[in-house]
Amino acid sequence: MLLESVHLALLSIARNKMRSLLTLLGVIIGVAAVIALLTIGGGAREKIRAEMAGFGSRLIFVFAGMPPDPSAPAMARARALTNTHLINMEKAISRYATVAANAETRLRVSYGARGLSAQLRGVSKSYFALRDWPLTRGRLPTAPELASNASICVVGSRVSEALFGMENPVGARIRIGQTHCRVIGQLSDRGASFSGDQDILVMMPLGLFQTRISGKNEIEQILINAPSEASIPLLKTKVREEMRRLRRIAPGRSDDFQVEDMAEYMRQASSIIGNVTAILGAIAAISLLVGGIGIMNIMLVSVTERTREIGIRMAIGARQRDILLQFLTEASVLSLLGGLIGIGFGLAIAWAGTTLMNVDFVPSLAAIAAIAAVSAIIGIVFGFFPALRGARLDPIEALRHE
Amino acid sequence: MNAPVRSTPLLVFSRVWRSYGEGDTQIHALSDVSFEIEQGAFVAVTGPSGSGKSTAMNILGSLDIPSRGAYCFMGNDAGRMDRVARAELRNRHIGFVFQGYNLLPRTKALENVELPLVYRGLSAHRRRALAGKALAQVGLEGREHHRPGALSGGQQQRVAIARALVSEPTLLVADEPTGNLDTERSHEIMALLTELNRQQGLTIVMVTHEADMAAFAGRQIGFRDGKIAFDTDHEAAR
Repeated sequence: MLLESVHLALLSIARNKMRSLLTLLGVIIGVAAVIALLTIGGGAREKIRAEMAGFGSRLIFVFAGMPPDPSAPAMARARALTNTHLINMEKAISRYATVAANAETRLRVSYGARGLSAQLRGVSKSYFALRDWPLTRGRLPTAPELASNASICVVGSRVSEALFGMENPVGARIRIGQTHCRVIGQLSDRGASFSGDQDILVMMPLGLFQTRISGKNEIEQILINAPSEASIPLLKTKVREEMRRLRRIAPGRSDDFQVEDMAEYMRQASSIIGNVTAILGAIAAISLLVGGIGIMNIMLVSVTERTREIGIRMAIGARQRDILLQFLTEASVLSLLGGLIGIGFGLAIAWAGTTLMNVDFVPSLAAIAAIAAVSAIIGIVFGFFPALRGARLDPIEALRHE
Repeated sequence: MNAPVRSTPLLVFSRVWRSYGEGDTQIHALSDVSFEIEQGAFVAVTGPSGSGKSTAMNILGSLDIPSRGAYCFMGNDAGRMDRVARAELRNRHIGFVFQGYNLLPRTKALENVELPLVYRGLSAHRRRALAGKALAQVGLEGREHHRPGALSGGQQQRVAIARALVSEPTLLVADEPTGNLDTERSHEIMALLTELNRQQGLTIVMVTHEADMAAFAGRQIGFRDGKIAFDTDHEAAR
């Protein structure tokens, strides 16, 4: 009986292809939005989680700049961080935590005729202790090598590929701006992050970077690896006090630097993703509601058009619930069809979106099954009133209907 | 004088009223109508439009119920049944043939004929077998997969008769079954109905306004102004 109804429903939909498709637009758009959202949002969250796991959630960052406080009066450009800050911070903190720093710029690196514009990063001696840096070839610079500003560097996988193809870059001397560096290691693929492609990267001793490349003793940020999650707040306070002292900020005046921690970043990023997802989710829900109303409308049309058919069916023995079931099935098959089309579109959008955002495309089967069920339920809910109307028809009146 | 002992009639109208509206504006489509129809009878119902014959047919076919009075079908008070019970009664015991055929368009002849069995919950295989048999019975072998649009009026009415027969009903209610057909087709349909009545003992009640069609029936009941104007059975008995 149910199978008959499904068959009947498909026939009826097939007879009115254009009408059915237009009716389903709301459901299609709503479902596509939900699927795209869940897939892209899920990928982005997973990416954040993976980065956090890679970089460590116990990391504290110090960088120049005003805290984001719109009520504070605009001040002169914040003073940059310098080696002095790093050295003093090391003195003050390195008993409790690892302290490192880096400076960055973008510059052309070349080897013979081949070259590319790469992210250049000068790193202080403890930098590589902050996290794991898996290598494909060679080794990482040692702390003494970094401290003595040796002319050595490690290259990211795409830099290696661009300059050396499939060959081993270790031992080669590459040109970076006006200087040369010997490659001692090649990093494993790390993929892209929100801050850019992490494989187009060359890392060298900070001193070398400052003397030969930037020409300034400035650093981008100081990184402090807290010994435990619990120690982060205390450590941040201590770092802030030390910075205020070093930069001679009078009591009562606001900081001209920021102290942030990784966990805080991740929470902020997650919360932004959450908010965006919620807003788009609400739009998707409205679209589904509109889609449901569209289905109700078309089912009312269908019941009216087929009044005589309903009369015939009743005359030959269809009970009210048979008619109800027939139209409910038709509505939910219609809606489910919209859901399936929407899932297809949603996955396509999600695929494009995740590719653009450098996020893994991992569709959730559970989410797809759930949204398919939801679209069928939309059909049942919004198809109920029209179906009931059909089922309540008087067989004599229905038979008389032209 | 006592009439000979007879079996219970198939259906009995006793003092049936069918009224619409309330109070002063109330209209009586049927006013105190009583008659009986025996199992195996072939009855023609005649009368002008508005005479109450259609109302009587609707009650007879359990599509409608009396406002007052009783309608007994096979000994059961069909007038007091709920919609579900009446739907089941129609499905199992009553076959309908309409003037306009009332086939489902864009649906194959075989599937049209299967329809009553769908609501009886028979398997597709069994339905197909029975529907094929019913189509053969009305002389439509080979037309199983034609859609109504591809069939002539006479053939469409045969499909409708097959649909009425497929559930092996006790009563066939035919509402002007030849109304849309030419004389030759009409006579073919009447011959088919007569054959079903004689050979299978199918009780047939047929509305018609054509005297030559009514002549095929063994008994004629005439309606006028919501009452029975004449009944050939009673005149014969008189």
